[in-house]
Amino acid sequence: MKLPEEIKAEIKAEILFSALFDLKQNGEYGKGYVVLTGEKLYVFSESEKEQHCRFSYDLKDLEQLNVENGIGCNMLTVRIGNRMQYLVRFTNACLGKMLQLKKGVEQLQKGEAFEPPKEEEVCCPKCGKRYPDPVQKICPKCMDKGAVFWRVLEYFKTYRVQFITLVLGVILTSLLNLVWPYLNGEILYDKVLAGDEGFLQSIGLGQGEFITALLLLVLTMVATKVVLLLLQILHGVLTAHMVIGVIRDMKKDVFAKMGQLSISFFRSRQTGGLMTRVMSDADRITGFFVDGAPYVLVHVLTFTVTMVVMLRINWKMTLTTLLILPVLLGINRYLRPKIWIMHGRRHRAERSVNNSVNDNLTGARVVKSFGQESQEISRFKSSNRKLRDAETHIAYRQNYFQIVYGGAQSIIDMSVWFLGVYFLLGDAGMELGTLITFAGYVSQLQGPLNFMSHVPNWWAESMNSAQRLFEIMDAIPQVQEKEKPIPLKEPKGDVVLDKVTFGYEIGRPVLKDVSLHIEAGKMIGIIGRSGAGKTTLVNLISRMYDVQEGSIRIDGIDVKDLSAGDLRKNVSMVSQDTYIFMGTVAENIAYANPGADHGDVMRAAKLAGAHDFIMKMPDGYDTFIGSSGRALSGGERQRISIARAILANPKILILDEATASVDTETERIIQKSLQYLVKGRTTISIAHRLSTLRDADYLVVVENGEITEAGTHEELEKLGGIYYKLMQLQTKALAVKE
Amino acid sequence: MEEFQLEQMEQETEAMLRIRYLKDGDAVFEKVGNGFLSLCLGEEYYPRVNVVRMFPFSDSQKFISIRNAEEKQEEIGIIEDLDTMSPKKKEMLLEQLSLRYFTPVILKVRNIKDEYGYSYWDVVTDRGECKFTVKMGGKSISHLSEERVLIMDIDENRFEIPDVSKMTPAERKKLDLFL
Repeated sequence: MKLPEEIKAEIKAEILFSALFDLKQNGEYGKGYVVLTGEKLYVFSESEKEQHCRFSYDLKDLEQLNVENGIGCNMLTVRIGNRMQYLVRFTNACLGKMLQLKKGVEQLQKGEAFEPPKEEEVCCPKCGKRYPDPVQKICPKCMDKGAVFWRVLEYFKTYRVQFITLVLGVILTSLLNLVWPYLNGEILYDKVLAGDEGFLQSIGLGQGEFITALLLLVLTMVATKVVLLLLQILHGVLTAHMVIGVIRDMKKDVFAKMGQLSISFFRSRQTGGLMTRVMSDADRITGFFVDGAPYVLVHVLTFTVTMVVMLRINWKMTLTTLLILPVLLGINRYLRPKIWIMHGRRHRAERSVNNSVNDNLTGARVVKSFGQESQEISRFKSSNRKLRDAETHIAYRQNYFQIVYGGAQSIIDMSVWFLGVYFLLGDAGMELGTLITFAGYVSQLQGPLNFMSHVPNWWAESMNSAQRLFEIMDAIPQVQEKEKPIPLKEPKGDVVLDKVTFGYEIGRPVLKDVSLHIEAGKMIGIIGRSGAGKTTLVNLISRMYDVQEGSIRIDGIDVKDLSAGDLRKNVSMVSQDTYIFMGTVAENIAYANPGADHGDVMRAAKLAGAHDFIMKMPDGYDTFIGSSGRALSGGERQRISIARAILANPKILILDEATASVDTETERIIQKSLQYLVKGRTTISIAHRLSTLRDADYLVVVENGEITEAGTHEELEKLGGIYYKLMQLQTKALAVKE
Repeated sequence: MEEFQLEQMEQETEAMLRIRYLKDGDAVFEKVGNGFLSLCLGEEYYPRVNVVRMFPFSDSQKFISIRNAEEKQEEIGIIEDLDTMSPKKKEMLLEQLSLRYFTPVILKVRNIKDEYGYSYWDVVTDRGECKFTVKMGGKSISHLSEERVLIMDIDENRFEIPDVSKMTPAERKKLDLFL
């Protein structure tokens, strides 16, 4: 975004930052700028009469500058004197810049130096179009497709013998296809059947041996067909082999990279979407390279050779054909996309029918208990009807296409024959065989033409897919290990947070200036509302993210200086979302410590209170669990993940709502086991229920990203703050229950 | 002190469960500053309130929730129907709503270009001309009813087409890909 020159000229002072807004006060679209200098904030907006109208405010008069989010629009609000007001309105497109502006104003008001925010490009610098994905800055139009192409080709290197064979096979196929009309037209009719003696001589046969010649010709024709068939089989085998191999290699690279990437990478993208995209992208790329690229050459070749041959046979007829062929091409290009749109519509209708069926099957109990069967039936009927309509439309369209396309084809054929016969009768050097050959070539022209009309799109799409995959492969992990990490010898488990500030998005800190000292071997409890920043705090200790300001030290060493291995070995987390991997119970418990023997696994499970329910499963510790195995309840999963942490035997144990989804009795069991567990380690426990934190040596209350209360149970109780309130509420709630 | 605390909490909980309808006579709204509204309700005074729709799509003029703009944003009361309010109050409330909700209505579709999984729209709305980018597939286009369509661009700006069947055939053709 560029600030207009006249605005620059009007402001004498140095411009620190400017943000665009796009709404007028009355809610219509209209551009304007908010400009920040060292002392003032200017608002320039478009007005009907003059170019710009202007307001300016002294920074020191502005209080509580804030960006307020509405639905689809936002306001920059402020208090000036006693008057609250909004300065400008803008849509979400301007939101990012405005937040940066707000931060800038705050910095200046605090007397700090203005830190210019990093320029976030949202539009492609070349063509000015928005990046479809602001995180992956790829402009599908302007990216260097050539470079991407060569990089993809690298993947085929391993299979170069197969690839070259494939290309050669394809070329041979098309050459044989070129010969075919010649054999079955000119040679059959004009040479053999017409009794051309010169032809017999040229292939070394005696006079009158036309039967032998015919036999030879038929044999050649059969041989051609057989070779074509063999080539087709070869093609199939090679393709299958290569496609599977290349897709496997690509996915392997992508997943290997994904493993290294920081949590923030996955946060900024939908994980599910990411997976399917990786899968379908890899398919699309190889699809183009195997079914597309080799044929480009072939079709260009076929087209030129065919043209040359045709021109040599009869140039007048060739020109006529050339005039009509584009019509066919046009029909194809114009009508085909419509059928695709129809297919998209059918797909959506199908999905809605499936959803409706799925709703009814999985939600059968709800439907029945509210007696809504008839309503569900009518809902199903309506989506089913839409599906039927979509299907009929497709059938209608397809038939329509076939008729039009086929009709045009027939017209071309007929005109070729008509012209041919005209030349034949007019004695212009045309013979029946030549005519048949010519007609054969005409029909062969259509393939390359149709193909070439699709290639540009196909190529662009596959290069786009490739670029997206490479983007993941090239992504740099945000959390990076130091080159020479400091080893953590004989860890004690002393944790210090020193003025830590952190936020997932710039300008929206989740933790503000948090300082905390957790002594080795102590248990500390963290309390606070959901969204207060508790989980973020512990995520930082295990270095899922890096702090933006301040530092976190374990035994006096900054976590950024530790090796990832040391850190993971010594810090374990039992979190609120426990993930069970595909595998047996034992494998899941020994996840962090695959070398553990069965005794260790059993002891860990026992300590976590998991042993008994595991023993109730048919195959005990060898029972398959995870996505394809036996389903576990929330409490069971949680106990398995606790056992996992116990077996990992870390110096620092983090329990993030570890007992939130278990019943009271189980919680007691886990509490008991935790008492064993916390001995000799530093424990950080987050909980909603205060009863979970009974054994904590020290408690902190987190509110809005800040530590508001800290102390022992007794101290906090006396304080009468949030802790006290919570305690009252929970003891009372329990009293009602019991 | 303990008893008092508990009582207060009990009250808060009860206030959360209570439904309070605001009548024209009781509620005194007043403009404060530019774009803000205060509410005086008997002895209660709220320096700034938010006006929020309960059914923004299906019933935009009824069931309006008046909420405290302070941190907890608790509900102060509900206006069942904006028409029961005096014209002046209604105007104030509508202004608040227009500041909070921004969904331009697409009047004319000039061009939609779809390319590489994203579509680039060029439209005329009731708020002026606009160009925006929509991600294809997924949840960008939602059907509020058979004919009413809500479009969400990549910045989560919203656009509405109240009745697709009233668009011209040429426009419908451009929209075909999405319906």
